[in-house]
Amino acid sequence: MAFCDFKLHKPESVTEACRLGREFGRTCAYMSGGTELLVDLRSGRKKVAHVIALGGLKELREIRRDGDTLHIGAQATLSEIAEAPLVHEVFPALAEAIVTMAGVQIRNLATMGGNFSCGVPCSDTPPITCAAGGSIVVAGPDGEREVAARDFVLAPRTTVLNPGDIVTAIRIPVQPTTSGASFQRFTMRRGSALAVASVSAWLNVEQGVITAARVVMGAVGPIPLFAENCAASVVGQAPGDSVFADAGALAAAEAQPISDLRGSEQYRRDVVAVLARRALACAAARAEGRTS
Amino acid sequence: MSTLKDGRMAPHESPAAGRRSVGVDVPKSDGEKLVRGRPVFTDDVLPSGCLFAKVLRSPHAHARIVALDASRALADPEVVAVLWHPDVPQIPHTRAGQSHPEPSPWDTTILPTKARFVGDRVAVVAAETLAAAERALELIDVEYEVLPAIHDPAAALDADAPMIHEVPDPRGIAKGGESNLAAMIDVQIGDVDTALAACDHVIERTYVLPRVQASHIEPHVSVSWIDEDDRLVVRTSTQVPFHLRRILARILETSESRIRVIKPRVGGGFGDKQEMVCEDLVAVLTLRTGRPVRLEFTREEELIAARFRHPQTITMTTGVMNDGTLVANRMVVLADTGAYGSHALTVQANTGQKVLPLYPLKHIHYHVDSVYTNNPISGAFRGYGAPQGFFALESQMDEVAAVIGMDPLELRRKNHIRLGDVDPVSARLNEGKEGLARTVNSSSLEECIRRGAEAIGWGATPAPTHPRFKRGLGVGVAMQGSGIAGVDWAAATVKLNEDGSVNLLVGATDIGQGSDTVLSQICAEELGVPYEKIIILSSDTDLTPFDVGAYASSTTYVSGGAVAKAAADLKNQLLTIMAEHWQVNLEDVRFVDGVCMGPRDLSLDMGGVAHTALYTAKVQPAATASHMSDDSPPPFSAQFADVEVDTETGQVFVRRFVSACDFGTVIHPKLAEGQVDGAVAQGLGYALCEEVLVDDEGRVRNPNFLDYKIFTAMDMPLMEVIMLETEEPSGPYGVKAAGEVVINGPAPAVVNAIAAATGVRIRHIPATPERVWRAMHEC
Repeated sequence: MAFCDFKLHKPESVTEACRLGREFGRTCAYMSGGTELLVDLRSGRKKVAHVIALGGLKELREIRRDGDTLHIGAQATLSEIAEAPLVHEVFPALAEAIVTMAGVQIRNLATMGGNFSCGVPCSDTPPITCAAGGSIVVAGPDGEREVAARDFVLAPRTTVLNPGDIVTAIRIPVQPTTSGASFQRFTMRRGSALAVASVSAWLNVEQGVITAARVVMGAVGPIPLFAENCAASVVGQAPGDSVFADAGALAAAEAQPISDLRGSEQYRRDVVAVLARRALACAAARAEGRTS
Repeated sequence: MSTLKDGRMAPHESPAAGRRSVGVDVPKSDGEKLVRGRPVFTDDVLPSGCLFAKVLRSPHAHARIVALDASRALADPEVVAVLWHPDVPQIPHTRAGQSHPEPSPWDTTILPTKARFVGDRVAVVAAETLAAAERALELIDVEYEVLPAIHDPAAALDADAPMIHEVPDPRGIAKGGESNLAAMIDVQIGDVDTALAACDHVIERTYVLPRVQASHIEPHVSVSWIDEDDRLVVRTSTQVPFHLRRILARILETSESRIRVIKPRVGGGFGDKQEMVCEDLVAVLTLRTGRPVRLEFTREEELIAARFRHPQTITMTTGVMNDGTLVANRMVVLADTGAYGSHALTVQANTGQKVLPLYPLKHIHYHVDSVYTNNPISGAFRGYGAPQGFFALESQMDEVAAVIGMDPLELRRKNHIRLGDVDPVSARLNEGKEGLARTVNSSSLEECIRRGAEAIGWGATPAPTHPRFKRGLGVGVAMQGSGIAGVDWAAATVKLNEDGSVNLLVGATDIGQGSDTVLSQICAEELGVPYEKIIILSSDTDLTPFDVGAYASSTTYVSGGAVAKAAADLKNQLLTIMAEHWQVNLEDVRFVDGVCMGPRDLSLDMGGVAHTALYTAKVQPAATASHMSDDSPPPFSAQFADVEVDTETGQVFVRRFVSACDFGTVIHPKLAEGQVDGAVAQGLGYALCEEVLVDDEGRVRNPNFLDYKIFTAMDMPLMEVIMLETEEPSGPYGVKAAGEVVINGPAPAVVNAIAAATGVRIRHIPATPERVWRAMHEC
């Protein structure tokens, strides 16, 4: 088919991948699973002469613990991440987010490196990574750098990546035992659907009081959106239904949804209020060890 | 399972005593080759030198195609031909793929002079590669005269509405084509106005049904070539090979003798492949270029330019007495047939004909306006108008029950059609004309309602699984037909080989539903030979006898009748041959379990009989039989949904779904259950998430499976299927139909369950989370 009119490159090292990317510039695209790229190429949203496939870079598939950090190789598939015991041990909310995504076949191909690099507003692993205070390791022609997850996506489908840059890893700090996180997502049906809205919440609870909170919304803004007022409203409070209900209303006000095929702006705000309340309640219960 | 004699329930074993094939889950006849991925589908093997076709589609909803310049496209040596309307015969026809005489208006030509919807055919390209064909589309310059368009069916009949079809020969269009009214029906039985005035309660509500698509896995695809005898061969994914041959012969100005249509394995049809969507285009390109040509729709093309279930707005008025006696019903339908009138009359006729007899009232008024718009083309889709009608009727029954304070099941039990009842509608409305009277000669509907209600736990709604959920049970009862009475007919040929195997040649089209298997079972049973001895071929217009094709739930009932007759004829031939061979009286020869028995200890197995026939008697035992039924006995179903509604988001979860069914005798239990599973999946999608969205300019907004949401495996509820067999006197082995009836119940069962759970009545489906949430916030 016509959309396959590109040259496929399979670099054998990160250095070579970066070099190819810099050489071809805007005429190329990196492929990290292809579940977004192939759709874009077929629909004509993207046209490129070169596709650089990163899946063969075995060193980017590793999931390991580096001291107080969970290191997830950018090319590990979503299925591999969701099944990794280490992920369940260090940050189970990430596995929880992943298993709600798409379907098995897509999760067997898609990667977090691809999720971040595409910068699509409705993607699911970036907001939960932001809530965890994670960061993204980027290799480029000029060496390696680490970017906070919350600073990574700049605008819809636009990230901090420059030509020749690739994501090599996602790093998530090992979470304090007093913390808990939850990912809540709403879709039009259960199988293979994009989020109408999602809310990721992270809380630290000490002696019955919330001491820190992060709430990140997906699919209701141009980038993963931090609901700052919502998060601030629960800090210093004891976890409770009314606290979280009020916080949910604040999140709804902070969301910046658009009306599209998946929902109207108003409906999405109302869904955000519900999801934020649920996510906060679930995160608090986990922080306090009331549930896993 | 249980079955009944003379149409009544009676306990009995399955399969029936003495049967070896009918009622048995034999291996599906094409199962192994499908599972092994053998090249069995239209697109699996292309002739050498095959060209690839693509269709240039109109970007405008309504525009005259004034001029076309293909010189830039043809400058590419890989582009072989570009055809537009001056290049092809302009013979009015319909692509609906129905029997002669065709009930759909002849409002179509192969390539039109005027585009009537966004996606209409403007030109067709053939190129050496698919990529070249795709590139060529961008290089064709078209001059359009854009015309005002209509997208709202309610505005189509306005005095100042632009005319969508100004054909010189408006054959089949209502009122001679003077307006955008494609088809009109008005049937009055009794006196509805007077009857309503005397009722204790009159309930009137309006129901809105969406545009949805069958979403068969294999898209429309056709390949054509000219064979060594200069005949046109079309191998195509179709439900109607014989209708296609007839239509192609006329519009290509040739005769049936010059055309051969081959139907290989088909990956789903559901009515969408009753239509001629690709075949005429590959044919004109092959005739023009002399080369083989292949055209396959992309999924986007399917969702723009294939066919859709007719969107309807139904206003239903029911008159009822305090004791729950239903007295009168008025059903007024506005249907959007889209840019062309494929099935504009007959789908809407079916909405009344299949639905209204369920409660056979003395006073019925059925009115339809089926209008042209500049929207995508509506057509045949499993259920054929009945899902729309049953949504209205079965929603309304719950609303009526609520008004008079009666249990919804009790209301249905009190009023539904029974064994021996005369269906008041069929005689007045069949394919949009007067039809044949129909009496119910087999029914386990009462039992279906009772057993289905038991299985779902009617009256004892389970507790919600979470405090934020509300839970409710709902029911949808339905009936359908078995073929089109007096119209659908089929033929079958059987031929005996020397090893006792039998070639069964049928025009009946297996499109994945398993008709090859079921017809082979009937043949094996009738002859008394093992199922494995039947070698079935479907369908090839050169090799197999005529059949109208797979639609209207007709194949097992109608084509099965032809197979049973042909096999019986063959058996009689063999008895005559063996009587002569043994020099005994004919009445002393009989078959027992496939073994021919004569007087004394004379006996010979089928292989021996075949040998005797072929090498001693020197005759080929073979028979062709035709079958038509003046009856269309209704299969019945009672379907029950157990749903939970998330009160915070409006999301509906179907937890359990029970289908209790009367399909007559079940020939193959697993395949019959498969029909239920598939129909329920499509029916639940209709209820909850499927809707083709068309914007103000007539463009489909969601032409892909990301945004056009069908029900997935993950969304399916726990399913229970209860078969309550009857023995239909007019069907071979007592069969009725299974293909369509069970697509009718899911949507009303689900909205009735939502209403039971929340008190909110959804009259506009699909019941998306946002729609349910809004409805909950409005009340």
